Amino acid sequence: MTIDVTFELNGAPVTVDVEPHHTLRETLRRLGMFSVHYGSDSGETGAAAILYDGRLASSDVILAASADGHRVTTVESLNVSPDLHPVQTAFVAVGAFQSGYSAGAMILGTLALLEENADPSEAEIRDMLSGILDRETAYVKPVEAVKRAAAVLRGEDTEPFAPLVLEPLTDGYRPAPAGAGGEIPDAPQSVPRLVPSREVPDMAVVGKPEVKVDAVRLAKGNPAFTDDIEPRGMLYAKVLRSPHAHARILGIDDSKARAVPGVHAVLHYGNTPRVKYASGGQSWPNPHPYDQVSFDDRVRHVGDRVAAVAAETVEAAEEAMRLIDVEYEVLPAVFDERFAMDPDAPKVHDEDDTTHICDPQRNLVHHMEAQRGDVDAQLASAPHVFEQTFRVHQVQQCPIEPHISMAWLDSDERMVVRTATQVPFHTRRMLAPLIDMEIKDIRVIKPRIGGGFGAKQEMLIEDIVAHLAIATRRPVRLELDRAEEFYASRTRHPQTITFRTAVDDDGRLLAQDMRLIGNTGPYGTHGFTVQIVSGLRGLTSYNAASKRFDCHVVYTNIPVPGAYRGYGAPQAEFALEAHMEDIARALDLDPIEFKRRNWVKVGDEMDIAPHLGERAVAEEELDEYPKIMSSGIEECVAQGMREMDWARRNDAAWKAPADRPNIRRGLGFAFCMHGTAIPFLDMGGCSIKLNDDGSFNMLIGATDLGTGADTVIGQIAAEVLGVPLDDIKVYSSDTDMTPFDTGAYASSTTYISGTAALRAAEAVRERLKARAAMLLEVDEPCTIELRDRRAYAADGRSVTLEEIALDSLHWQEQEQIMGTASHVSPDCPPPFAAQFAEVEVDVDTGQVTVTKLVMAVDCGVAINPVTASGQVEGGMIQALGYAHCEEIVLDGDGRMVNPSFGPYKIYRADEMPDTVVYLVQTMEDSGPFGAKAVAEIPKDGVAPAVRNAILDATGVAINDLPFTPERVWAALQAES
Amino acid sequence: MPLVTAYHRPASLDEALDLLSAPKRVALGGGTTLNADRELSDLEAVDLQSLGLDGIAAAEGGWVRIGATVTLDAVRRCELLPDSLRELARLEQPSTLRTLATVGGLVARASAESLLLAGLLAHDARVELAGPPSDLSLAELLAAGLPRGSLITAVTVDPSGCTATARTGRTPADVPIVAAYGRRTDGFVTMALTGVGGHPVLVDVYDPTAGLEPAEDFRGSREYRLHLAATLTARAMAELYP
Repeated sequence: MTIDVTFELNGAPVTVDVEPHHTLRETLRRLGMFSVHYGSDSGETGAAAILYDGRLASSDVILAASADGHRVTTVESLNVSPDLHPVQTAFVAVGAFQSGYSAGAMILGTLALLEENADPSEAEIRDMLSGILDRETAYVKPVEAVKRAAAVLRGEDTEPFAPLVLEPLTDGYRPAPAGAGGEIPDAPQSVPRLVPSREVPDMAVVGKPEVKVDAVRLAKGNPAFTDDIEPRGMLYAKVLRSPHAHARILGIDDSKARAVPGVHAVLHYGNTPRVKYASGGQSWPNPHPYDQVSFDDRVRHVGDRVAAVAAETVEAAEEAMRLIDVEYEVLPAVFDERFAMDPDAPKVHDEDDTTHICDPQRNLVHHMEAQRGDVDAQLASAPHVFEQTFRVHQVQQCPIEPHISMAWLDSDERMVVRTATQVPFHTRRMLAPLIDMEIKDIRVIKPRIGGGFGAKQEMLIEDIVAHLAIATRRPVRLELDRAEEFYASRTRHPQTITFRTAVDDDGRLLAQDMRLIGNTGPYGTHGFTVQIVSGLRGLTSYNAASKRFDCHVVYTNIPVPGAYRGYGAPQAEFALEAHMEDIARALDLDPIEFKRRNWVKVGDEMDIAPHLGERAVAEEELDEYPKIMSSGIEECVAQGMREMDWARRNDAAWKAPADRPNIRRGLGFAFCMHGTAIPFLDMGGCSIKLNDDGSFNMLIGATDLGTGADTVIGQIAAEVLGVPLDDIKVYSSDTDMTPFDTGAYASSTTYISGTAALRAAEAVRERLKARAAMLLEVDEPCTIELRDRRAYAADGRSVTLEEIALDSLHWQEQEQIMGTASHVSPDCPPPFAAQFAEVEVDVDTGQVTVTKLVMAVDCGVAINPVTASGQVEGGMIQALGYAHCEEIVLDGDGRMVNPSFGPYKIYRADEMPDTVVYLVQTMEDSGPFGAKAVAEIPKDGVAPAVRNAILDATGVAINDLPFTPERVWAALQAES
Repeated sequence: MPLVTAYHRPASLDEALDLLSAPKRVALGGGTTLNADRELSDLEAVDLQSLGLDGIAAAEGGWVRIGATVTLDAVRRCELLPDSLRELARLEQPSTLRTLATVGGLVARASAESLLLAGLLAHDARVELAGPPSDLSLAELLAAGLPRGSLITAVTVDPSGCTATARTGRTPADVPIVAAYGRRTDGFVTMALTGVGGHPVLVDVYDPTAGLEPAEDFRGSREYRLHLAATLTARAMAELYP
């Protein structure tokens, strides 16, 4: 039964036929309002928020029929010309969008707020944003955008949004002298504080707060994301998932499902080829074991795949799913990594056709060991030995755009997969054997992505839509719902980490021994490499003569862990920085001074790094160990201490405020060190060609998740070619069109893909110079300089790039000026950071309130300080969720009890701590224009800094995450 | 979204009650609960938006009458109500949902964790029902459940008195694990707690945990919730009697 519904849409009446169950979100998208995005069915993400009779409201929970007679406004209402509305302009100007998935909702909320109140307070702005969950920006720049929009609409002048440039407090190597610093810089928290390096020259485009190249399309809500096209004849897929944590499927009867009108295919183990694979999006050959198949006769976690249906409608697919009759033999399950290796633990993988499991009888997937020096001897003889065990939990990446893919066979019978992925090229390669097609017959297109954070470094659902597209010969779309995103996509690995550290009487480390049990859930995807990174991060931050890593990676029946921004580092650095803090306190040393005494400095070896990882080498195979070539940590610490007013740690009146007897305050610090790309492995390619008007098309395989990668890489090319960023038209990424790139992970994009762009641009520049020399009749092309869209001879004469283009394309000795390059690095220069946290602990209830976070980060040269600071802000708040409130909770049967936002708590705009970012420049010679990584290091230090701040406030050390009220209260009770 | 098989928008209370008397028909307020529940199926929605229940007005004795389809956002904006109650309406739902969620839906749902419901309890709220017409206290309704065949039409509250709120959650805007909302009028205190039972409850301020049997979940054990009940009640009392 359909209903005629009439409402006002963006000022004009529309009448549409709807089913009673259709939501307004679905209906608006059907009407072409693609700015309205799916985040969940229950409306709490706000990605589908619209103005409903002028008020911000989630269209997910409005029946389309209920909208009859109402006024509906979407951001498309502003798109009456190519220009942006002032509110859109404000968001673009301050870099408020990363993925921009919820851009429409933010802009509409701002419009409604400012219509009611031309000068809203920050609290009112944050309240407006409280219903739009943003996993990327920490709301810092969106709040600034609303303030800026308000000012513009009030007729006030605004300054260009730019970093606050600060003088350094150190000489770059030694600690700041006592008393250095003076006043804390006064600027809005949205403004990145930039401490330049004298080694870095001023440049035209690099280092500048350029507007993102995709900002306009995001601000307008133009169709840009995977779901924003609808191939004709598309079918909708749904996946039947296991209700059991561990079971054998004895039989499937799909006859009733196939009989549902509109159902075109039902796939399961009985009718799908059994091809083994590992789903992690990693370089060939993916780390073993290949322990998955598209559909198995065994399920290993609640939410595991059982069958997939393709039907004319979602409702038909869901009805068919309900009618699939599955006979299970329920098996015992194991969830805790500490018990998975017990002899009587259930065996998660006992099938014959999975090889390379270290010891399937013990659920042991991998056992990794690496050692330098004689750890046991040092531990036996050292004057001080400390041992602590830490437990870190399971959380989810929570991109607001869930996993979504669509697939179809094109006119050449090639498989086209349009998908929200971080790894299009890996996906193409990994998909080929599963669907029995050759790589050359598969095309993977990555449109804009609404956040990934590692969850989309996986071939998660692409094989399902491809199988269904082959089975039905129709386009097929599959989108996970929010609950599936929690328990059926990917998560962060839980770990149990034990550190033993030997220290001499001078507070210098002699040995560090790190034992780790990593929980990779039912499948090994990323299980090897994540734990390797934990070892790297746990054992390369501090110098010690002897080091040992002993790691067991085990199978269990929890939802599948995988890649998550930080990739093993947040777990390890929580344990390490907590451990180091406690050692300092035990030795009665200042924690920063103790850590400084031991942390790695310029020239120090990263001594265990080469012995870990996919390309690990033995000591005797190594010519020399990689060394630290740049570090701004001392400046980071100095700036951060000043910003935090660190001396308050010794101010008893501040720590125990007399007017709030239940409150204790504390400050915490964590030293952070990350990596930049995977040496000898990560590779990126870039191709640049000149157009008639002197502009350039740049094709890159790099995958912008909202990080600003397209912008940053464009800036690098623009700097080389002497043009504004707007003259570089960036396209990424499409396996048919763009060069190969390993994908968006491992903090590699700026460093690896950016260097590829640099080299491709240099190749183009050489041809431009040669053609300019020809036109200017200059003998030495090397004397030509490119700037301001022109090529200048040494004598000041010049030609425009357009003149060069027209000449080279149309007039004489024609050629297409273009350059292609790729890059792989032997280096992995670490970014460093100082992370600070300020907390209030309610000692009567255990509630921890984080009141301020400061990260001062040395990411080399920030190619774009606004996007870089946005990365740090968003990363810190994700990390705060990890430390403080996020957790996947399973019941005794392995079923997630909190698979929705709210019960699974992520921070929203009206409860944020103050967040301040410092960008401390260093010159990293191996990076493009001196750049190192910035994307992942913000994930590393928040949990230990908060933990150490709680310790500072209360004297209580908590070694398990997260710091939820009852856990803290219990620790306080135990202490008292 | 549940599988709604039919949609009705009655124009009068009588029509609404008549529609709701049939099986598998449910009242639709703002939709934030019903439309968010994907487990429901084969329902017919009876949308209450045209019943004229969306007004807030001063009532006899200084009370305030809030129509059942008044949104939480309208409660937040209503200057007839005390700031503390308006703040609870703000905290109850984020900006994109409180513009839809209704007071009637809030009462009907009777969530144990509802701050605003606790606030209404402490303000001696009474609930007006249609079909058959009746008027009972919110506390009675929460204890007994919504009578079969009835429809909430309004909630009336006494806005007088001074108030205090104390709550504990994982983060500042989290749904509290336990919260206390106290109201003092003429030396008498009404204290309501969330998170300690099947719905918000009124407690004896001198023995706030008496008779409580909180259900535990991953956010709080029974023991912890009882501890919070006592602590937060004491904290609210201290604020009411500085």
